[in-house]
Amino acid sequence: MLSAFFVLAETTGDVADAGKAIALAMGIGLGALGAGIGIGNIFGSMIQAVARQPELRGELQGIQWLGFALTEAVVFYGLIGGLLAYVLI
Amino acid sequence: MKTRLIGLATLLFFVLPAVALAADESSTDEDFNPADEWELHEWIPIHIGPLDLSINKAVAYLLLGALVACVIGIVLMRVKVGRDPTRRQAVGETIYEVAQVQIAEQGLPTRAIARWFPYCTTLLLFIWTVNMLGFIPLPLSDEKWHGIPTFALFAATSTLSVTLALAVMTWVFTHIEGIRENGVRRYFKSWIPDVPKGLYPLIIPLEILGQFMRLISLSVRLYANMLAGHMLILTFIGLIFLVTPWIAPFSIALATVFYLFEVVIVVSIQAYIFAALSAIYIGSAIEPEH
Repeated sequence: MLSAFFVLAETTGDVADAGKAIALAMGIGLGALGAGIGIGNIFGSMIQAVARQPELRGELQGIQWLGFALTEAVVFYGLIGGLLAYVLI
Repeated sequence: MKTRLIGLATLLFFVLPAVALAADESSTDEDFNPADEWELHEWIPIHIGPLDLSINKAVAYLLLGALVACVIGIVLMRVKVGRDPTRRQAVGETIYEVAQVQIAEQGLPTRAIARWFPYCTTLLLFIWTVNMLGFIPLPLSDEKWHGIPTFALFAATSTLSVTLALAVMTWVFTHIEGIRENGVRRYFKSWIPDVPKGLYPLIIPLEILGQFMRLISLSVRLYANMLAGHMLILTFIGLIFLVTPWIAPFSIALATVFYLFEVVIVVSIQAYIFAALSAIYIGSAIEPEH
């Protein structure tokens, strides 16, 4: 186990590039994790609401898409953060 | 609807690689990089002092978008209203109803609708048109093939300066309208929520920061959505050149799926969101809650 660590530490190559790639992947990956849960919640609640009161569908749809877009944008804040790390540093 | 979507998907399956092949034509000596699409070269240089007003790809798309939005507005809205509505009138009325019921009446107080409904509707139509033009292959690109510009996918809204300009417009209107309706003192006082006085040093900087965060979130939401959509499609097509040509059926199918997702859902949702949030921001400045 310890020797494996030292082998990794001796790896040569462009470590900075590797770090940037990890930053980009972490940005979009963690952003997508949260937004996935959020979008699932929104559409789940929408299905429940329409199942209980189908006549409210039209009114709810506007709010649903608003919530969807606001939540989805979180992924892209992560992406932009990752891209900033990739380009600027 | 379903058969049309399938037909569109089949068409795209054959058209998309042509776009990518054209993009690859001029850069035979270097690697395919999707980010190259966002390098804006000056077409007609216009420099006024320190200002750079050159016409480049994004500006050309913006001008085209403005023109097409005007044409769409005139064609759909200037209809001779008849007893049984034509298809054109029906589409125009649907757009009008979305703008009126879903955007203006939800965000704006009743007395402000007359003044701010045109602005929000313009945003909706203009952003939708520019987004949509971004997914139609147009001969507006930096690469030339025998002197003719090649077909390419590019949206003006996938550059940050365009969306930031739109967001700044909403942001400035928000504060001007808030001050005009409520007076300077009452408007800025309305930013501060009901909290004990001891918390003020903590809350006031946060609220001021929040006003600027609106600017960032409004512009970055649209920009990043369009950027990510184009980047995904270009990357999947680019895999053909980067990995192996045998990956083509797989990657073109995935690119087609993302293309349809962007065109059917994202383009309209983002235009709607931008207009709706503008209406909500302006409405909340006119009638602050506290």
